Amino acid sequence: MTTAPAELRARLAADYRPVRALPSPWARALWILPFALVALVAAPVAFTVRPGAASLGWIGVWGFSIAQTLLGVLVVGAALRESIPGRDWSRTAIGLWIALPLLAVVALTLYSWETSPVTLLRGFWMVGGLCFAGSAATALPVVALASILAARAYPTRPAVAGAMLGLGAGLMADAGWRIFCHFSEPAHVLSAHLAAVIMSTIIGAIAVRAYRKNTLSMNQ
Amino acid sequence: MADDLRLRELMREYQSGRFEAFDEIYASIAPPLRRYLLSQARDGAKADDLAQETFLQMHRARHTYDSSYPLMPWAMAIARHVWLMDRRTLSRRPWAPDDVTAMALPVKGEAESFAERAEVRRALGQVNPARRQAVIQHHLLGFSFKEIAERAGIAETAAKLRSSRGMAQLRALLKGQGGK
Repeated sequence: MTTAPAELRARLAADYRPVRALPSPWARALWILPFALVALVAAPVAFTVRPGAASLGWIGVWGFSIAQTLLGVLVVGAALRESIPGRDWSRTAIGLWIALPLLAVVALTLYSWETSPVTLLRGFWMVGGLCFAGSAATALPVVALASILAARAYPTRPAVAGAMLGLGAGLMADAGWRIFCHFSEPAHVLSAHLAAVIMSTIIGAIAVRAYRKNTLSMNQ
Repeated sequence: MADDLRLRELMREYQSGRFEAFDEIYASIAPPLRRYLLSQARDGAKADDLAQETFLQMHRARHTYDSSYPLMPWAMAIARHVWLMDRRTLSRRPWAPDDVTAMALPVKGEAESFAERAEVRRALGQVNPARRQAVIQHHLLGFSFKEIAERAGIAETAAKLRSSRGMAQLRALLKGQGGK
């Protein structure tokens, strides 16, 4: 029988204590839900609902935003699953987890434009900057919380897990901002709102990577 | 190797406070883990080190194991991660000997004049680490001072200084040993 080297056994025994196994990634993703709901209602409650709401209807405004929020939670769940050794996604699956939600945002943008076209006549960069900054800032608390959840597991590809959860957080934040934003012009939505989702994805990748690196160096 | 259900049970016990379960887990999965690491590293000693590191990481990540899934894919993923991290660390770290006394040194030049290579190794082990590195890299491995300076992130003149002071220290040490 193969026996463990005494030195290894002693090192493990030195900091051994019982631990509780992590709940499933999908269950942990639900911890994000309260933050997701705050992100969903923050902008419309603090400011107003978009003027084209009547032509878009309840489904077009709130229904699709709720669906986008749930999609964000799902992507965060996938990111948390990616953080568990041996349960990581294939490259194709990761590509789909990232590409499909982004395509969904593009499709929703085009649908909103078709149904209720509102053009941004003046201040393209200023309004775009506000929407970009607001959306990215709304995503930050969710990115921070989800980063901690991911890094406390054992992500073997922290940048991938971080990018996925940043994307999830970005989707949740954008779901709220699209209810408030007055303009449906694709150039504005894609350059400000979608860019904020992509920015959140990048921040997530950097955050989890840095957090993980820090944790590893503290363990060494 | 214990069957999958037994391994899951053992890991659950290990998580919940029975440290002795580790021995049985080790006996069951150390051989396949080592085989995998050996196939990657192609060096028995390295594979042993990496296997130990894998068990250490498994211990740290034990809370992430979900006993409704098989243990081996989880352990193999950690082993693969350990291997990749090790490879990445080596590729980023400038070359530096861990233990000069254990090195098979291609002693040449000035050092050849000394009768006992073991004495040279021993003396080299006592030289200031930064100087020792410069001496080994320049006199034994043939790096130029410019290359040494680039690797250590210092000026070329500083690399020359380290090497010459290291050689002076080495000579003094060897003289001292010879005189004993």
